[in-house]
Amino acid sequence: MRTRTLRANMDSSSTGIQEPFDLIRLSLSERVFVKLRGDRELTGVLHAYDGHMNLILSDVEETIMIVDQVEGVPEGHSTVNIAKRKMDMLFVRGDGVILVSPPSRT
Amino acid sequence: MLIFSVFKTLTDQRSTTHDFPDRFLNIRLDSIKVLDEARHPHMMAVKNCFIRGSVVRYVQLPAEHVDTQLLEDATRREAAAQVKR
Amino acid sequence: MDESTPPPPPAPPAEPSPPPPPPPVATSGSPTDFLKNVVGKKVVVRLTSGVDYRGILSCLDGYMNIALEQTEEHVNGRVTNRYGDAFIRGNNVLYISAAEAL
Repeated sequence: MRTRTLRANMDSSSTGIQEPFDLIRLSLSERVFVKLRGDRELTGVLHAYDGHMNLILSDVEETIMIVDQVEGVPEGHSTVNIAKRKMDMLFVRGDGVILVSPPSRT
Repeated sequence: MLIFSVFKTLTDQRSTTHDFPDRFLNIRLDSIKVLDEARHPHMMAVKNCFIRGSVVRYVQLPAEHVDTQLLEDATRREAAAQVKR
Repeated sequence: MDESTPPPPPAPPAEPSPPPPPPPVATSGSPTDFLKNVVGKKVVVRLTSGVDYRGILSCLDGYMNIALEQTEEHVNGRVTNRYGDAFIRGNNVLYISAAEAL
C-alpha cells in the first residue's frame, strides 16, 4: 500500500510530500535530528539513507541520556546525566531509528 | 544496496575474504585495536572477529574516504527507482 | 481436497437467529479506510515505548512509517519536544488515533 495525498497537485501550504520517505529525501545534505533507541539522539548532516532507514551522517554530535533512577524519588525528579560525543562520519543502522526530523523550513 | 556498496568500497581489497560485508551488513574485522582498554579489557587479546549485522548500532567511517556528493546522488537515484517500482 | 461444499449444519431449532448487528455509525470501514481518512488531520501516534506524538498526519506508507507536521512529543503528559516535520519509523508505532472529528 502506498498512500498518496492530492496535496502535491494542489500547491497548498504543504511541501508536497506524498510518502514519508520524501521527508527524508528532501533533507539530503541538510542537518537532521535523529532519535534513537537507548535514549540516544544525533544531529548530523544527512548524506545517504535507504528503505531500512540506515543512515550515513557527517559532522555528528551524539547525545546520550543516562537516567539515574533514585529509589523513593518521584518520577520526573530523577537526575538525567547527559553525555555528548562527536564523530566525523557515521553509519547508523536503521533498526535503532525512532524518529528523524529535518531542519524546519520556515 | 547503496549502503552495502559504501561498505564494500571501504573494505580493504587486500583482505582475503571478499564475502564481507554481506547483504545483512555482517562485518569481519581484522587487526583489531582496542580504543578504550579500560572498558573492553576482554577484547585486547582479540585480533579478528565477525560481528553479526543486527547487533550493530553505528559504524564510524573514515570521512576522507567517503564522497558525500556521490552518496547523495546515489541516494536520490535509488529513491527514484523505488518509487517507479 | 474435496471440491464440493458441504451442506451447512442445521440450525439449532430452539434459539431464534439473532438480528443482524446495526451498521456502525460514522466510523465504518476497514483500517485502511480509517488511515485514508485521517491523512491531513490531527492525530496522536503512540509508540510502543509509550511516547506520544501529536501532529498533523502528512502521509504514511505500508510499513506504518509516518510523516507528521507541527509535531509535539509528549512524555508522561508533558511536552518534551517540538518538530516542524517528523518521520517516524513504522516499527515503533503502537497506534494512530484521530485527535479531531473525521
